[in-house]
Amino acid sequence: MTLYIKGTGNVSPQKTVGHPGFLADGVTHMGTRLACVEPDYKTYIDPKLIRRMSRIIKMGVAAAVDALKESGVAVPDAIVTGTAYGCLEDTGIFLSRMVEQQEALLAPTAFIQSTHNTVGAQIALMLGCNGYNNVFVHRAFSFESALLDAMMLVAENDANTVLVGAVDEITNYSHSILERIGLYHKDIGSNVNLYEEKINGTIAGEGAAFFLLTNEPSTENYAAIRGVRTFYKPTTSQEAETHIRDFLSSNNLTAANIDLVVSGRNGNSAENQVYDEVHTSLFPGNLIVNFKHLCGEYPTATAFATWVAANILKNGVIPGVLNNGVETTLTFRNILIYNHSHNTHHSLILLSAC
Amino acid sequence: MEKLIQDLKVQIIAQLNLQDVKPEDIGDDQPLFVEGLGLDSIDALELIVLLQQQYKIKLSNAEDGPKVFRSVRTIAEYITAHQAQTA
Repeated sequence: MTLYIKGTGNVSPQKTVGHPGFLADGVTHMGTRLACVEPDYKTYIDPKLIRRMSRIIKMGVAAAVDALKESGVAVPDAIVTGTAYGCLEDTGIFLSRMVEQQEALLAPTAFIQSTHNTVGAQIALMLGCNGYNNVFVHRAFSFESALLDAMMLVAENDANTVLVGAVDEITNYSHSILERIGLYHKDIGSNVNLYEEKINGTIAGEGAAFFLLTNEPSTENYAAIRGVRTFYKPTTSQEAETHIRDFLSSNNLTAANIDLVVSGRNGNSAENQVYDEVHTSLFPGNLIVNFKHLCGEYPTATAFATWVAANILKNGVIPGVLNNGVETTLTFRNILIYNHSHNTHHSLILLSAC
Repeated sequence: MEKLIQDLKVQIIAQLNLQDVKPEDIGDDQPLFVEGLGLDSIDALELIVLLQQQYKIKLSNAEDGPKVFRSVRTIAEYITAHQAQTA
């Protein structure tokens, strides 16, 4: 089943909101936390609604509004969201108040907004969309699961247009907890140094990316999403290679047909080993770019990668910020996103030109 | 009563996170729900929590809600009456 990307919206640590040009200038972030470059949300959301929204909800709604506006679809048939952490900030507020107020007299707003389905529900409320609405909370498979659900909805004729996206945020609490357990590399300097030396740990990221997917082909579309596959905890890089070969084969492709691999390398030498072995063995002559120096590491970072791949296919160019300062113009046909999280959650997303 | 009304306006703005609204923007008799400030059912719950937290008043009869929460003045009158009863 092939779906087409008709519109995109992306709130990320780069200047991506409102389609200002495809990664024309890279944003440098110092330290281990890449926070989103956020818009003035009052241009996206009714001020009466904003007052109850935490940051992640506003990020998700703004990305969704951008995707819908660009596609010209006012109300999609379905909304499917992926998130690993959900609305962390409001969850923290709600839990803190439970402790402070000894589980009595809890104000409802933080609780209502703390659930994982808040972003998808808020978008539906704003649009008056009474169609299918689902959220997937599958750690680093959350976005991929949302994509698969969208593909199945369309394959079974339950929808023609689906708004699919993923959201995850960093909060002060989550960042300090994840830093304490050693996920981040404290002496990294800035995000542009992410791949320069062998280090342990990576940088934290966050973002909200939404896509309006349709079953109608058009040369105006960004790209076609041809397939998504996930696999869990391969014991060796050879096992990962077998999955990749099989996935490509099921789409009538071989590794040689892949014009570009968008790789989830995140600077952590322990986790990069699998990427390096797979790249060397399967894609020795293929173009490969990394994306996590731009968005950081987070469980739904593949949504950012999908936005990157879709834009490369639409514009026919790899911006310099993705490719060591070298802008590359080519006719791209097939792009494979290969990502893993902690060498447990591996995923593949295949996009092709329209 | 006037001081209570002013205090309530500040507390309502904080509790409901009414951005860009100042106490002087809320009329003493201005309707709070639907028209006026445009509050909704979630705000009603927040106001019930505010009454309990700040004034130790539990709204015993839910049917009194629309009357009590009609405006800042009606809330202030309800608080004053309740405090007089319990004094």
